[in-house]
Amino acid sequence: MSYQLDWTQIWQNRGLIIEGLGTTIALSAVALVLALVVGMLIGTIGASRSRTGRIAAGLYVECMRNVPLLVHMYVWYMALAFLRLPPFTCAVLGLTLYSSAYVAEVVRAGLGSVPRGQAQAAAASGLRPAQVLFLVVYPQALRIIAPSLASLSSQLIKDSSLASVIAVADLTYQAGAIEGQTFRTFEVYITIAVLYLALVFIVSRGLMSLPGMREAPAVGRIADA
Amino acid sequence: MPEVIQQNLPFLLAGLAMTARLAAIGIVGGTLLGLVLAIVRHARIPLLNPLAVAYIEIVRGTPLLVVLFICFFALPSFFGYRTNAVDAAALGFVLFIAAYLAEDFRSGLRSVRPGLTQAGLATGLTPVQVFFLIVLPQAVRRAIPPVFSQYVRLFKFTSVASVIGVRELTGSALLVNAREFQPVAIIATVALTYLVICSAMSLVGRWLYARLAIRS
Repeated sequence: MSYQLDWTQIWQNRGLIIEGLGTTIALSAVALVLALVVGMLIGTIGASRSRTGRIAAGLYVECMRNVPLLVHMYVWYMALAFLRLPPFTCAVLGLTLYSSAYVAEVVRAGLGSVPRGQAQAAAASGLRPAQVLFLVVYPQALRIIAPSLASLSSQLIKDSSLASVIAVADLTYQAGAIEGQTFRTFEVYITIAVLYLALVFIVSRGLMSLPGMREAPAVGRIADA
Repeated sequence: MPEVIQQNLPFLLAGLAMTARLAAIGIVGGTLLGLVLAIVRHARIPLLNPLAVAYIEIVRGTPLLVVLFICFFALPSFFGYRTNAVDAAALGFVLFIAAYLAEDFRSGLRSVRPGLTQAGLATGLTPVQVFFLIVLPQAVRRAIPPVFSQYVRLFKFTSVASVIGVRELTGSALLVNAREFQPVAIIATVALTYLVICSAMSLVGRWLYARLAIRS
């Protein structure tokens, strides 16, 4: 092993790394919020009693998640280049559509695991359908699916690195730029790997420590009593 | 089929073959390494167990693209060996997917009831025999759904190899597009190809699970 480690040049380029980290965080945050909203909507339709709704939601999920994320990004960046969307928007769209399919499946399964009686009892007690959904069904489903959503979130952060391929100046992109200038290949990729690791760790721990996330599901407790 | 695809069909099919090859290497190598890691963790083998935990946690926290860059640029320059894009990608896929498969196999192992191990030991089998003849086959059968979804994920992820210059399906499509410049037809064809193959893989997984499922 003749490789001499030299971290000074990485430290000198910390500005670029921090800038890239900021872009990665912004991209992941926007895409995550949108993916959760779209996924929630599609998942709810997929769990509904309408047959057409279930088929449509199923088609959406299969089509979105069986195409690689990189291809999703090329669709917006290259195939639909005439729309002239900025790379960041293309990356957000690609990440959102791809991840929302996974969120939808998780939401659908979560809604399915809330006993029917809960919604029926809520409706019988005079709540409107929207109230039944938002006050009774969603809160119970959310607790069940929280761990899956946390792992999807960390998945999304890692997946956001593919945005570097369509020229979004995220962490991975800046690593390539620094590598090109300094040739400290090993040091720079280890550095960004550690940063991704830290980001994923913080987000998944952070999400799981939100109040209510780690309580036993209310359904279980009622059933036990 | 659009004309641009017809004219470049042999080139694109060669790309598809490379995609299949990378996926096959990743599936076989990743499954073997994943099983070894899962067994190390399940049996809590001293010294190796913390290493396996560290490996799994680090790889699962790192994006695939970064893993490929490390295999293609960082490791060769650090250890001073020569590699090419295809070998580096294959190594990256094996190392990457093994960490995910290890966790799926491990939860399969944990789901096998302890009574079966005790019964096996009581009939006079050695602990090693109990593990390989009784526990492991059931654990693997239980792990089929998550494992197959990892295989499908890996198949999609082979597209990332195009970034380090491998001419698999996505890479060759990008090259064709660079010459012909018909992005709509080319990207749509690529997307459709992945869609069909990945859906077929999911169906095979579901069929296998339906045939081999153990219902508790």
